[in-house]
Amino acid sequence: MAKTVLKTNQKTEMEDRSSLKGTLASVFFLGIFIIVTWVSVYYLFVDRF
Amino acid sequence: MITSTAAKVKVDPRDAKLSMAHFFVAFSALALGGLMGLLQTLVRSGKWELPWGIDYYQILTVHGVLMGLVLTTFFIMGFQYAAVSRTTGGHSSAARRAGWIGFWVMLVGTLMAATMVLLKEASVLYTFYAPLKAHWIFYLGLTFVIVGSWIDGAAQIMTYARWRKNNPGQPSPLLSFMAVINTVMWIVATLGVAATVLFQLLPWSLGLVDTVDVLVSRTLFWYFGHPLVYFWLLPAYMCWYAIIPKIIGGKIFSDSLARLSFILFLLFSIPVGFHHQLTEPGIDPAWKFFQVILTFMVVIPSLMTAFSLFATFERYGRSKGATGLFGWFRVLPWGDARFIVPFIGMAAFIPAGAGGIINASNQMDQVVHNTIWITGHFHLTAATSVVLTFFGISYWLVPHLTGRRLTKAMNKLAIIQAWVWFIGMVFMSGSMHIQGLLGGPRRSAFSTYGGSEQAAEWIPYQIAQAVGGTILFLGIILVLIIFVNLAFFAPKGEEEFPVAEAENPEEKAPMVFENWKLWLGITAALILFAYTIPFIDIIQNAPPGSKGFQTWSKW
Ligand code: HEM
Ligand SMILES: [Cu+2]
Repeated sequence: MAKTVLKTNQKTEMEDRSSLKGTLASVFFLGIFIIVTWVSVYYLFVDRF
Repeated sequence: MITSTAAKVKVDPRDAKLSMAHFFVAFSALALGGLMGLLQTLVRSGKWELPWGIDYYQILTVHGVLMGLVLTTFFIMGFQYAAVSRTTGGHSSAARRAGWIGFWVMLVGTLMAATMVLLKEASVLYTFYAPLKAHWIFYLGLTFVIVGSWIDGAAQIMTYARWRKNNPGQPSPLLSFMAVINTVMWIVATLGVAATVLFQLLPWSLGLVDTVDVLVSRTLFWYFGHPLVYFWLLPAYMCWYAIIPKIIGGKIFSDSLARLSFILFLLFSIPVGFHHQLTEPGIDPAWKFFQVILTFMVVIPSLMTAFSLFATFERYGRSKGATGLFGWFRVLPWGDARFIVPFIGMAAFIPAGAGGIINASNQMDQVVHNTIWITGHFHLTAATSVVLTFFGISYWLVPHLTGRRLTKAMNKLAIIQAWVWFIGMVFMSGSMHIQGLLGGPRRSAFSTYGGSEQAAEWIPYQIAQAVGGTILFLGIILVLIIFVNLAFFAPKGEEEFPVAEAENPEEKAPMVFENWKLWLGITAALILFAYTIPFIDIIQNAPPGSKGFQTWSKW
């Protein structure tokens, strides 16, 4: 029992160290931000011209 | 072990002196240019008028020239000169002599141009568009600045070439490589502005010819004008890629990725000038569209940079035991001015970049073209991302060069400085963006436009800009206090010049990155492809030339 707990702990830590999950989330956030601003000005454009 | 010896590596004191000479000019330009910026926002609020017959467009010229051309060029040349010295082991005396000659030629040119602006002989704004006509000494001064920057830049190239010769088969030090890319891009770009100044504007202002081809001169200007903004940005990227990782205690995510992104900037920054002329008649829309496509290519290295910075931060945070999706963010050294000042600059690049993509989107440019949105945009890119990074660099580089230390008190003041700048810019740039979307023009003193209803809508935003401008000016005063302290008064000691190492040093950058024949060849091919046919068309179908105009009040 105790052994399994130890094993899972170690596994998560290993995964965490080399993980770039946060980077992936950040670039997605960046992409979404760019698209949202672009689309809002695009609607302004469509409205005016 | 290697890191601790590297930390002690100093810029040769003889090179330090030349870098500092550049910085004195740069920070003097900041002081004067910042005051003009404040006055502009006060005038535009409609609550205040310039005394003694000083004209709005005169101070706007002073601001644009000092901030956009003088502060940037002098700071960049001083920083890159020091970075090359630091990473190659110092300049030769020949290179150092070239650096000094370049510096003095640039300074003389700056003073010539400045004198003409102060005499109201050159209120032509920093883009000096024909048919606005300045005194010939103004254009000659600009020629000196350009030629001086070539000589100054040659110093970096000479030292880089010597290093390559002494270390055959080795990739050059990353910071030197980046500095040389930027200098080479600058030289290729300034050929355009040199051509219009030498062959069009100088003969015309001297009275040797009566008229000028406006479209040709504007096209040559923007052939230079877009790479100009990347010339400002790349030194900031040098800090983000190759210096910041060391400051936080991490590693460069990938040395090769950094080099590749710089090469992409060299290739795609130049053949895109038409994106500043999208609303201009006389250029075939198909060629405008082609250059818009090339413009969007620049998005690639920009996003590569964003990715690699996030990755550096996350790797570092996780090595410190941070967990979860964003735990790494919290363990970054938020109390270190050398980190947080440029970091605020990086953050500002997110809205700045998003705005840039809107500007470049061919038809959508009509929404924002020549509105104060554009001014809001480049006060995020140049006047926040770039200059905050430059300030962050000078907070360790100046004491490094003068043999002093950044004290705890100054570190704290520097952090306050950056936040003051950020808050001021949220007000100023934010309201400029909104006013621009409501149609408010840039490059305009206060006017109610004959009591127009639409113009009345803009006034609250202009007042917000004055509030922001006042806060920003406080920020400039803080920068100057810190700079003078670090140059003359801070306690003697050793301040590190941080240079980061790659995460995988055994992975050598491919030597093809140093193949200048290849990259310059592709650069030239892209430029020729993007410009030859439309340029011939512009010349063959040119309207009659224009005589000169002086629209501003004289003393
Ligand atoms: C105290 C800080 C600053 C304030 C209050 C300020 C304010 C302004 C304002 C109000 C304008 C536009 C006026 C108009 O279009 O009529 C302007 C233009 C400009 N600013 Fe700034 N600015 C500041 C700092 C900077 C910095 C640090 C840079 C560059 C690194 C910069 C570069 C420019 C440039 C290139 C222009 C364009 C001039 C032109 O259109 O000819 N500014 N500034
Ligand atoms: Cu551009």
